[in-house]
Amino acid sequence: MPLELRSVGRRFGGLQAVADLSMTVAPSTIHGLIGPNGAGKSTVFNLITGVIPLTSGAVFFKGERISGLRPAEICRLGIARTFQATTLFREYTVLQNVLVAAHLLSAPGLGSALLWSSRYRERERRARERGLALLQTLHLAGLADQVAGTLPHRDQKALALAMVLATGAELVILDEPMAGLAAQEKAETTSVLQRLREQGLTVLLVEHDMKAVMGVCDTVTVLDHGLRIAEGTPREIQANPAVIEAYLGVEEPGA
Amino acid sequence: MEPSRGLSAPPGRALGAPIAGLALLAAGVVALPQLTRDSYYLDVATTILMNLALTMSLRLQVSTGQLNMAHISFMGIGAYASALLVTRVGISFWAALPIAAVVAALLAFPIGGLALRVTGPYYFLITFAFSEVVRLFFNNFFVDLFGGPLTFTTKLELYTLMAALLLVTAAVLVRLEHSRFGLVASAIRQGDLLAETLGVNVFRYKLTAYVVGSLVAGVAGAFFAHSHQVLHSSDFGLEPMVLLVVFTVIGGTGSVWGPVAGTVLMTIAGELLRELHHYESLVFGVVLILTMLWAPDGLVALPGKLARRRRVGVSLAP
Repeated sequence: MPLELRSVGRRFGGLQAVADLSMTVAPSTIHGLIGPNGAGKSTVFNLITGVIPLTSGAVFFKGERISGLRPAEICRLGIARTFQATTLFREYTVLQNVLVAAHLLSAPGLGSALLWSSRYRERERRARERGLALLQTLHLAGLADQVAGTLPHRDQKALALAMVLATGAELVILDEPMAGLAAQEKAETTSVLQRLREQGLTVLLVEHDMKAVMGVCDTVTVLDHGLRIAEGTPREIQANPAVIEAYLGVEEPGA
Repeated sequence: MEPSRGLSAPPGRALGAPIAGLALLAAGVVALPQLTRDSYYLDVATTILMNLALTMSLRLQVSTGQLNMAHISFMGIGAYASALLVTRVGISFWAALPIAAVVAALLAFPIGGLALRVTGPYYFLITFAFSEVVRLFFNNFFVDLFGGPLTFTTKLELYTLMAALLLVTAAVLVRLEHSRFGLVASAIRQGDLLAETLGVNVFRYKLTAYVVGSLVAGVAGAFFAHSHQVLHSSDFGLEPMVLLVVFTVIGGTGSVWGPVAGTVLMTIAGELLRELHHYESLVFGVVLILTMLWAPDGLVALPGKLARRRRVGVSLAP
């Protein structure tokens, strides 16, 4: 199992944002995490990636305990994420954004950077080539020298995904990758995700677009009020009464 | 400190620009003594070069998003270390200079390591508090320390020494800025959480910038000790520190050349305004406010901004 959450909990003062959550994400699958607003989905992402510490339980990645590690260390082990409000290095060009993200794979030392050795230049050249190749696959190659902050929303989303991939992560965590996209763009994102799965990557995503979730995910976990209320294939989830109740509410008896 | 930079002004990371900039700086430094041997001008120019080492190294730290108010203290540590080594231990200035710089860098590890655990206003306050502690230490233990016998007797010799120190420093800092280190450092300023989740050890980058910056400040301090002869703790207090910040911010923190523009222009302006006496700082304050209002990215970002405004103007014309 690449990712395993064991009884993970997070309390904010009196609020139990996530309670006793156990789930596993199987390798080379697309795993959806859904639930009504405030269900704790983004908190779960923050707990997995070490952005906020958990108050109980533990997270394991490829058998190694990652809860308690700093975000950078977790990224080094192969987990990278996007944020709900798309975050980029806004002053940098598209290619520079990817180069920062790729620094783990090709970070030269301070000394070799100062000496400007041929080996350093070769590494820089290769990093640029890899970055451009990655942009090509996400249809961003033509925008390589555009400043990220000036890109339209869909290209910013695509760039955020490119950066996550540039880290060399095996597990990619995406917070609402479809939000604000047009139907055509959603279809493109879906096919990108499917391609990543074919390449052996594992995807964990939060998404509000139910049609997209049900279309692309292999497994779906449903959260409500910080609790896991269901898990299964999209077909099972759609037929699950607890899920329907969480989303639509239950009829008051006698009302 | 959150310097915002023009959105469509990507930092020039092509190799041509930094080499051209360095060549221009070197040409100016070499040309000056050919133009004048007047000791007043040489004196001002030497001060500018020393301040350039300080502001350029301060900019390195600011590029990671942190304004270090204790930068001047590391200059002081370099100055007092060098002066003590020459007068009390009896070694030569040439041996004292690198040792003083290394002492400043070594002290930067624990101090930077402690201060960089917090960010924003807390960092500003912690470093300011630290700088006051250091200043009081100097004041209480070494009243008017003598900087050592004059190794250099003429203004031209002093100028040449500082020019050589600065050109090496500038080459290193410009090289750093245009390397992957500079790329990641400025990325941290734009989004430290994003950088951290992309695997960047943000703390280590900030600490590296802090230590390298302090090393340079230590070199400037050693030079100061031997050019000024007498050290006083107020040389390393709040007032000179604020001047460094003013130079750096007015020039612009988005580029490695910002502090160069700010330091040269503001020092010359300061000399021209000398007759105004205490109104001088008032003028500086007004210039700083105007810069922050109209050119928050500093003077070096202005030409690009004006050019863009013109372009936009044309495209919007009916």
